[in-house]
Amino acid sequence: MSAGLRRRVTDLACRALQAILPPSLQSWGWAVRCEAASIPDDTKALLFTLDSLCGLMPRAVASHLLYPFASLIGDGAPLSEGSSIMNIFHATMRRPRALGIASAIGAVVLGIVYMAIAGAPMRYLGINAGALVIGLTMLALLGRPVAAGQRWTGVAIIAIAGMLLATAFLGSEVEGAARWVKLGGLAIQPSLILLPVMLVAFCRTRSLPATAGIVAAAAAIALQPDRAMAGMLALCLATLAVIRRDRHVVVALTASVASFAATLAHADTLPAVPYVDQILYSSFNVHAGAGLAVLGGSALLLVPAIVGWSRDADNRATYAVFGAVWFAAIMAAALGNYPTPIVGYGGSAIIGYALSLLALPKLAGASTGVGFGTVGTTDRSPSDHHLLVALA
Amino acid sequence: MRALSPHARTVLAVLLDAGVQWSHGYELAQLADVKSGTIYPLLIRLEAQGYLEAEWQQPAEGGRPPRHAYRLTASGVQLARANPPGPTAAPTVRRWEAII
Repeated sequence: MSAGLRRRVTDLACRALQAILPPSLQSWGWAVRCEAASIPDDTKALLFTLDSLCGLMPRAVASHLLYPFASLIGDGAPLSEGSSIMNIFHATMRRPRALGIASAIGAVVLGIVYMAIAGAPMRYLGINAGALVIGLTMLALLGRPVAAGQRWTGVAIIAIAGMLLATAFLGSEVEGAARWVKLGGLAIQPSLILLPVMLVAFCRTRSLPATAGIVAAAAAIALQPDRAMAGMLALCLATLAVIRRDRHVVVALTASVASFAATLAHADTLPAVPYVDQILYSSFNVHAGAGLAVLGGSALLLVPAIVGWSRDADNRATYAVFGAVWFAAIMAAALGNYPTPIVGYGGSAIIGYALSLLALPKLAGASTGVGFGTVGTTDRSPSDHHLLVALA
Repeated sequence: MRALSPHARTVLAVLLDAGVQWSHGYELAQLADVKSGTIYPLLIRLEAQGYLEAEWQQPAEGGRPPRHAYRLTASGVQLARANPPGPTAAPTVRRWEAII
């Protein structure tokens, strides 16, 4: 690596550090940057910066994750010893995304409790916990408020559809179903990660490219084939059609119904996988506590949608679609051999749930924003910026 | 306050030796033999707890960037004196740690 390249990588690492640090620690990012610039040796400067980046990243991520809770008592102040549990509870109820984070953590913990009681391998527990960390980290990093154009949502939805199509054609195949991608020795299910956020994004911003992306995604799901995901697609779009019907929704709904019908035409021969499928019922055979943990964890997934619907009339369509996504996933797990989201073994649903939280407003009841004057149909709120950037 | 780590004690000792003189991050990391990934979180914590003061210093030479400099506050000096660096672990113990 040439000296110039080392300096450029050093500068890039410094910029990355400053991008992830919260405002309260920005001066420390500058301190590292200036210190690196004062080191004459290029290699030493690069190592110094990379090491600083690694050392400060956990603190930066933790700050972002704790921010919703730190700001609960007002003015973004950190939690003080005098703050009461009830204050936190009531404030959390007004913050759908924070509530979603709490629900995700609760559901993963309950899932781990179930797996521990059921005697699942320790590796499974670790993978679910790791997926939660990855999901929340992605949420923290992608949820930063940065302005972006609406057009990028359509592009992002098309990109997601492309990934789903690639999975259908090139993914790992089991018993005639191609739903998985091998990554670092693990098989992940891209549809479970990407479809929820894609659907809620479409709910917020509908346009011609976004609709085309949904149609392509419906085709990909039919090709995989995946009855559970096709059902999720159809249920969400039907829900959206009831609340906010327009030509984009009607076209997307038609495609999703066709996709669902196509998956119904194929026999689903995949057997149930231990700790993944059929655990909503079988967990009670293991132990009543395990069964309650699974049911409780599954119910937690719907809490942000229920609370948001009842408290935030401005964004009801978003909560309805968010609830429909995860209700469909739970129902699919109850009716067939499909992954039980969050509480069962598997990281894809956990990451997918965390990413879908990007679509929830940070503050319930916040006034709707204005200013997106582009083609398409947009339900606006302050958190649109985050979603659009995250998807782009 | 929880017990200080060996790294924290070493960094405090280096800052204590510096007295009223200001130290910089890279220099501290080298003197304390601690990686920058360890030293910055530590400096942030010490500064937030009031044991460390920090300021931006303009460079002596033109064209160089300003630098962030650090030194102990009075309470930091007390903390450093109360927590000197511990004895180095015996080589045999380190070998066992490596094997385990």
